[in-house]
Amino acid sequence: MHTRLVRRTLIALLAVPLMFTAGCGGSDKVVIVGQKFTEADIMTQLYKAVLDDAGYSTSVKNLGARDIYLAPLSKGDVTISADYLSSMTEALNRKANGDDAAKVASSDPDATLKELNKLAAKDGLTALEPAKAQDANAFAVTKKFAEDNHLTTLSDLGELGQPVKLGANSDCPERADCQKGLEDVYGIKISGFEPTGFGSQATKDDLVKGVTQLGSVGTTDATLGKLGLVILEDDKSVQNAENLVPIVNSDWLKDNEKAKKALDKLSAALTTEDLTTLIGKVDLDREKAADVAKAYLKDKGLI
Amino acid sequence: MDPDGGRPVIRDVIAWFRDSDHWHGPSGVPTLLGQHTLLTLVSLLIAAAVGLPLALWLGHRGRGGTFAVNLSNIGRAIPIVAMLSLLSLGVFGTEALGPFGRSGLATLVTLALFALPPIVTNTYTGVAEVDRDMVEAARGMGMGELDVLRRVELPLAMPLIVAGIRLAVVQVWATATIAALVAGPGLGRIIVHGYDSFQTAEVVAGSLIVAGVALLLELALALVQKLMDPLPPGSR
Repeated sequence: MHTRLVRRTLIALLAVPLMFTAGCGGSDKVVIVGQKFTEADIMTQLYKAVLDDAGYSTSVKNLGARDIYLAPLSKGDVTISADYLSSMTEALNRKANGDDAAKVASSDPDATLKELNKLAAKDGLTALEPAKAQDANAFAVTKKFAEDNHLTTLSDLGELGQPVKLGANSDCPERADCQKGLEDVYGIKISGFEPTGFGSQATKDDLVKGVTQLGSVGTTDATLGKLGLVILEDDKSVQNAENLVPIVNSDWLKDNEKAKKALDKLSAALTTEDLTTLIGKVDLDREKAADVAKAYLKDKGLI
Repeated sequence: MDPDGGRPVIRDVIAWFRDSDHWHGPSGVPTLLGQHTLLTLVSLLIAAAVGLPLALWLGHRGRGGTFAVNLSNIGRAIPIVAMLSLLSLGVFGTEALGPFGRSGLATLVTLALFALPPIVTNTYTGVAEVDRDMVEAARGMGMGELDVLRRVELPLAMPLIVAGIRLAVVQVWATATIAALVAGPGLGRIIVHGYDSFQTAEVVAGSLIVAGVALLLELALALVQKLMDPLPPGSR
């Protein structure tokens, strides 16, 4: 009895560090990371499926926030991260030039990609071709409010002239792509502010309950339709381009042109609508991210 | 403290404190300090109103205390963040409650539950541990039960009771920052805002303010605790 218990414990203790080295060390093993939400789960599973199909041996790791996986990605312990064009650009910008660095990302994906690759090169990273799909910041209202006032764009809301209460991240009031942009670029009158977060349940609940009239959400949020919310178009391009983009360790990429081709093909196919649908299947229908990703790729003839 | 390496956060923190923008207006330090104080004070009053009479009575009877102490200790075991989320999602909702802001009721109840264990434990122990000879002497002098509690047990238990309140005050003060997690008021807003906008210095500055005031409260209440002791120093 006792020896068995001891042996088991020893094996368990050994297994943990072994799993780690297996995951991080081997040169032929590709480690994919993303952040902790459904969209990242789906993106990492899409990357895994196309790379598996291209003959790689891959594993997906959840290391949480970008701050945590950035260093291992530079070192090569992690191979690929599922990332966002402007957010990653600004993260590297802050890392290189400090928290108060002037912003370099913009609503133009091509210009932002150029800036991103300039910054990424310093950390031994390369940004591949961004997907058409993007999860940008957007602003939603209730369908009823939009219909009653004939709103489809944020400009329409500005012209309406009716003061609205806004729900968003706590740093929204001073951000050019948030309250400041809404006021200065669109002329929207903001009468109050609730720091309920970006695309959070509280932000959406407030809209439904009428506590706020305008709320900050993501363009790939699959729950909006069900809640009776619609996004007003950012017709004056206040938002940064947040296309999904694979960030790859440059040393590894040199010898793996095959992987680049596979990922580029996926990025060329994936649209915002596709991604929103996939997220809906996971968040609303409770399917598994890996299954949803594989089914999509088969459907598109990518694997 | 500094994930970016090399850049001294300290300098940014000092700059944050010197920036006059942070010292006035609806999101300035004085306003937030006021909200934070109100939040702490009211939740402590709730906890004291519930916990003190109960613990005094149980301590006086010298029975049922273990049960009460253990029950209130559950408050220590429950993760406070989970409690706040649960209460604001469920029973109490996120409606704004006057100066306590969004999810006001949920925040107050969470903090009050958090303040309960030290108040109940210390008060019960303080009263129950009063020298039985003194209590008997008081009874022998013809005091009624209420007089025994009021004129003998309570004064002698006072230092321990105040120590419990002191513990609760400092804990609740530092923990009231969680109100900002459910978009509530108080100094936590500085920390959450700093986190949201990737300003390490702001997170540090907010934490320093909370910690600094917590220390002041601790020192002030330690003094009160000493003054409350009816026995001459060194006689315990």
